[in-house]
Amino acid sequence: MAPFRIRSARPEDCHDLLRLIKELAKYEDMEDQVVLTEKDLLEDGFGEHPFYHCLVAEVPEEQWTAEEHLIVGFAMYYFTYDPWIGKLLYLEDFFVMSEFRGLGIGSEILKNLSQVALKCRCSSMHFVVAEGNEPSIRFYKRRGASDLSTEEGWRLFKIDKEHLLKMAMEE
Amino acid sequence: MAPFRIRSARPEDCPDLLRLIKELAKYEDMEDQVVLTEKDLLEDGFGEHPFYHCLVAEVPEEQWTAEEHLIVGFAMYYFTYDPWIGKLLYLEDFFVMSEFRGLGIGSEILKNLSQVALKCRCSSMHFVVAEGNEPSIRFYKRRGASDLSTEEGWRLFKIDKEHLLKMAMEE
Repeated sequence: MAPFRIRSARPEDCHDLLRLIKELAKYEDMEDQVVLTEKDLLEDGFGEHPFYHCLVAEVPEEQWTAEEHLIVGFAMYYFTYDPWIGKLLYLEDFFVMSEFRGLGIGSEILKNLSQVALKCRCSSMHFVVAEGNEPSIRFYKRRGASDLSTEEGWRLFKIDKEHLLKMAMEE
Repeated sequence: MAPFRIRSARPEDCPDLLRLIKELAKYEDMEDQVVLTEKDLLEDGFGEHPFYHCLVAEVPEEQWTAEEHLIVGFAMYYFTYDPWIGKLLYLEDFFVMSEFRGLGIGSEILKNLSQVALKCRCSSMHFVVAEGNEPSIRFYKRRGASDLSTEEGWRLFKIDKEHLLKMAMEE
């Protein structure tokens, strides 16, 4: 009998989503960088035009952690577009609480994501991994992932709001 | 008087979008990798749920190229989601035909994109640039872009359909 199950997130999960987002940020020493609120998550994910989708991993009541958490893992994804091949699934965040690792939750989430990607006729799933995160890199490479940064030399850039404002107001 | 104007793409622009996508791919020596069709672009961009958005640069009739092209540049973008800060604008493709460079079309497109990003309450605009593409890197850095690959060590990965199928069907 499976000790957990994977399902799509619902509006009432936003509280747990934020908790896990912060836990993952803490794992990367960046907890104070999370400025998103439950209200943002609700509006952005469950409004007329969702900007993201989530899968969550639930465990039955008797396996709750000390604080009685029911949701112990999540994956946040959305769809992107490659002008050469079309739709892609982009895996943005992926986290399982440390007490619940080793049970196959991560693999089952990836399996679900793969099914979503194929159902939506996506050619590929993309995601970023931090250079030093060897366990994650191995986890993904075992499943056939290839490092586009190495193979194709893509570098990820950003232009933040301060500079967007500057460009937006240029004459 | 402006020799060009920037506007949102319309369904009837799909042939020109595909033409410019192929021209950019040819510029990167990858033209045979473009498997997308006009039909895909139409369904994916102008259906009930658009998977991408485009801005196009038009020039007046007397400035048409030998093949009477009206659309001489484009930018393809979509919205992504950062679980710490929320909505982002992702610039996927950005190209101006070589005969029409140096007129300020690129800057004007970026200005429009910045306005879209701010209107949609995006925190930042993200995009990738190939490591060796010095002119583009300089173009973006002049406008305040920072290289997240260098600063934060993110590496872009992919898991393609062959491996997605494998994971999707695992028992």
